[in-house]
Amino acid sequence: MSDIRDTYAASAATIPTLEARGLGKQVTSGERQLTILDDLDLCVMPGESVAILGSSGAGKSTLLALLAGLDTPSHGELALFGTALPALDEDGRAALRAGRVGFVFQNFQLLPTLTALENVMLPLELTPGRDHQQRARDWLGRVGLGERLDHLPKQLSGGEQQRVAVARAFVTRPELVFADEPTGNLDRDTGSAIIESLFALNREAGTTLVLVTHDPHLARRCQRCLRLDGGRLVALEPDEVQA
Amino acid sequence: MSTGSSLLALSLKGLRRDLRAGDVRALFVALVLAVAATTMIGFFLDRLDRGLTRQAGQLMGGDIKLEQSDPFGDDLRDTLRNAGLTLSDQVDTVSMVSRGDAFQLASLKVVDGAYPLYGKLRVDLGEGIIERAAGPAPGSVWIAPRLAQLLDVAIGESVQVGQRELTVSGLIDREPDQSAGFASLSPRLMMRLTDLEATGLVRPGSRIEYELLAKGTPAAVASVGELLTRLRQQGVEVEDVRDDQPQLGSALTRAQKYLSLSGLAAVLLAGVAVAMATRRYVDRHLDTAALLRCFGASQRQLAQLFAWQLAWLALAASVVGALLGLVGQAALLALLARFLPLTLPAPGMLPLLLGVLTALAVLVGFAGPNAAAAPAACQCAQVLRRELDPLPASAWLVVTVAGLVFGALLWLYSGDLGLAAALLVGGLIALVVLWGLGWLLLALVLRLATRFGARGGEASRALRLGASQLARRRQASLGQLLAFAVTFAAMAIITLVRGDLLSAWQTQLPADTPNYFAINIQPGEREGFSDILDQVADTRSALYPMVRGRLTAIDDRPAREAVPEAHRNDNALKRELNLTWRKTLPESNRLVAGRWFDTDTQVAAGSVPISVERGLAERLGVGLGDSLTFTIGSDSVTGEITSLRDLDWDSFRPNFFVIFPPGVLERYGHSYITAFHLDAGAHGDVLGRLVAAYPGVSLLNVDAILARVRELLAQVTRAVELVLGFVLLAGVSVLYAALTASQTLRAHESGLLRVFGAGQRLLSRVQGVEFALLGFTSGLMAALLAEGAALGIYAGWLDLAPRLHLWLWLVLPFGGALLIGVIGHLLSRGLRRQAPVQSLGLLGEG
Repeated sequence: MSDIRDTYAASAATIPTLEARGLGKQVTSGERQLTILDDLDLCVMPGESVAILGSSGAGKSTLLALLAGLDTPSHGELALFGTALPALDEDGRAALRAGRVGFVFQNFQLLPTLTALENVMLPLELTPGRDHQQRARDWLGRVGLGERLDHLPKQLSGGEQQRVAVARAFVTRPELVFADEPTGNLDRDTGSAIIESLFALNREAGTTLVLVTHDPHLARRCQRCLRLDGGRLVALEPDEVQA
Repeated sequence: MSTGSSLLALSLKGLRRDLRAGDVRALFVALVLAVAATTMIGFFLDRLDRGLTRQAGQLMGGDIKLEQSDPFGDDLRDTLRNAGLTLSDQVDTVSMVSRGDAFQLASLKVVDGAYPLYGKLRVDLGEGIIERAAGPAPGSVWIAPRLAQLLDVAIGESVQVGQRELTVSGLIDREPDQSAGFASLSPRLMMRLTDLEATGLVRPGSRIEYELLAKGTPAAVASVGELLTRLRQQGVEVEDVRDDQPQLGSALTRAQKYLSLSGLAAVLLAGVAVAMATRRYVDRHLDTAALLRCFGASQRQLAQLFAWQLAWLALAASVVGALLGLVGQAALLALLARFLPLTLPAPGMLPLLLGVLTALAVLVGFAGPNAAAAPAACQCAQVLRRELDPLPASAWLVVTVAGLVFGALLWLYSGDLGLAAALLVGGLIALVVLWGLGWLLLALVLRLATRFGARGGEASRALRLGASQLARRRQASLGQLLAFAVTFAAMAIITLVRGDLLSAWQTQLPADTPNYFAINIQPGEREGFSDILDQVADTRSALYPMVRGRLTAIDDRPAREAVPEAHRNDNALKRELNLTWRKTLPESNRLVAGRWFDTDTQVAAGSVPISVERGLAERLGVGLGDSLTFTIGSDSVTGEITSLRDLDWDSFRPNFFVIFPPGVLERYGHSYITAFHLDAGAHGDVLGRLVAAYPGVSLLNVDAILARVRELLAQVTRAVELVLGFVLLAGVSVLYAALTASQTLRAHESGLLRVFGAGQRLLSRVQGVEFALLGFTSGLMAALLAEGAALGIYAGWLDLAPRLHLWLWLVLPFGGALLIGVIGHLLSRGLRRQAPVQSLGLLGEG
């Protein structure tokens, strides 16, 4: 194990997709103040795939939410596509994400009243264009759900719902995709299929992937593996990722 | 969990835990609102009803009025007194009163010491008009100013009544129980019962009416109901508030119906709120049900568990709601004390019981099927995998049970089973139609929204996104559309019925409503009298000839045998009827069956066509083609019914049960009657001229009655407006509850849109469009529903002429868009400001 800053060798000419320095997050629980993230550093370059591992309750999801600008840090510097996130308000952070960031949530976050097709179309509808439906159809086809377009989430299995979530994350052709336990609720075969989808899309579109996972198979497919421990990130060698 | 007691304990424990959840709190609030609204309106209506009935009783002179031509026996008095009623005896007759050489026919009102049971007399005892709670002292009389004028008598002088000389001690300005009967056409003389015998007026064959008036609590009046029925069968005229004063009766009856309708609307709105809140409650309980199923609970145990939880909730909400209702109505009456001069009796317990029962019924009807269906629908594996359609088959069950409960409440409030059934069936059909219409409208919205897809700009993007969000959330949107449509329609119906009711009352008693009746105008005086009226009266009715005839046969059978048994004591069979003839349909009459006279052909052919008032025809059991025979003097005249009419009995104009064509009754002795309006300032001069020129004509002033009826209508109007305010508030609270209930889903949506890059302004616009469209569409549906329902209510219940309300089609959609848009937008303000991590519940994961 070594500090992330030692292992990271960035090209000075390239703007990192994501960069965090001294990032911290404290929450108040009753009279106690809990430190979830403490002085954390991270840099992710375009096209890179990074897995973040950690035990339950280590703060992986909190970290992902901070990195995506869904929540605000207590202190530290954080830049997304070279723009400092803490300086932006909620609208500014949303505008920065628009069309450039995809998100695969741990619990899918599909709208229960919309069909699979409508769920995938949702992020596209924030932008003008005529081909929203066709693009959503294409992506659902790519994740193997071309025949399930009109099904509601409750009519799909957990794996199928996760694939809808993946299609939704990629449908805007984002530069960066965050995925929170993308295979956490899935059986091994379905999980593998999802992993294949993610990395295929990563390869084809050059999308940067930041994954939070418990799954060592998924972690080993990433270029870098980091462990969140005591509120800080430490780099793991491939052989340190336990099967 | 095998025993009942453990289920009970588990249900209490579950409810305690549930109270942490927003949906249970929402359900609780909806129930509290339901109970508070119904009990508050119930309490208020009950007290107002009793207050108005008391005031109406004042116009009649008592709560019960018995009348016959013989004195009433002591046994009857004892029975009535034992029932807790206070009695007053009264004798009415007409007699000549004289002073010196002047003679005048007077209407004698002979009263006892208990008179008046209600209200006070206004009398001038020589020092201006004052109010007195008792009649004249023994040995003295009070007389109408007109009688004083005719006899040229002043206070302190005496008049001769029969064989007794009595001192005039006062001039009557107003009697609390002044009625418009023709017995009181002659000027009034009021005297004490103790002086009657000495007058010698009571002799065999005297035309004297004995009246026994009774005053008491509604319970006391109700306790002698059977006795009154027996008395009716024995030929005693028994009257109560509603059938003694037709002018007042129809206004009161309509007002009560309106207030009941408002109560029903409040119940419906509360039901909608409960149904919306329950849906979320049950959805969430599917998880618990599934877990308990996995742990071995049977469907029956789960059903019992949910039933107990709902029962506890209902009980707690009922107590809180009833207390709020009680406090609310007291506050309301305190606020209105200035506007409601009548003293209201203390609140009764019935509304409290009714409110709690209504709320329980609403809960069982609107929430029960959902709750009961949850355990049955629940397969634990499906629920735990989140694959269960929450209530797949229960939607119709909900509609059916809620419909039946609502129908029962409709019956309870309207007291009319046929109407309740018709409204219920109509309502269910309307719901199905609205459901289909809503589905089509949403499809249309989606189609239009897709067209906007090609255009850029944030405004059009917001329009497209908001519209498509609404349309794609089909089931939820349809539910909300129906709930809002029903709410808007209920509010609209209560508003427009109020408007039409008030305008009907204003039309009923316009400023120039005739305030004088003139009768006994002889044929030779007709033209002259008419000429004077044309010069002095603001408005007047036509002069109608009047012939008195007794109905003796129907289709050649004795009349009493021919009519249905229930109506054999009808006044029409006991008294002479006023018959008239006329070529054209009289003013304020409406032909409802048959044809008006074609006199030339019909009379010439030897057949006499007659037109009969519909109500009388129904009571007599006759219709078109039946014949009625009248005895006029020593002759008989038979006519065949060729038309039926509806009359406006509230018009203060001459009305006739039976009208003949010209050419039949002219040969019989007849006089004329008319009604006219005189300005307050013109009274003295004009009346003096009329009395001087036509001393035989009797004039009846109905100003006092008109004033009383107007005063009562004004109070009822205020009550109606107040209740309308209640219903509107209840409606807004439903909108609030419904929009709050959908907040979770909206929070989810806005959180996701935030993640995908939507800014606060775009979210604000999207939500604004969505709410406004929801309001507009539901307003459109509400307009359709309200028009349909109003047609049924007007024709079938309130007896008002149906009419279309075009303004509804503008106000409801645009008003709905504004109302839902504003409330929804305000409620969602917090959501828009919320960080996505909170909206999506991402905190604490991993």
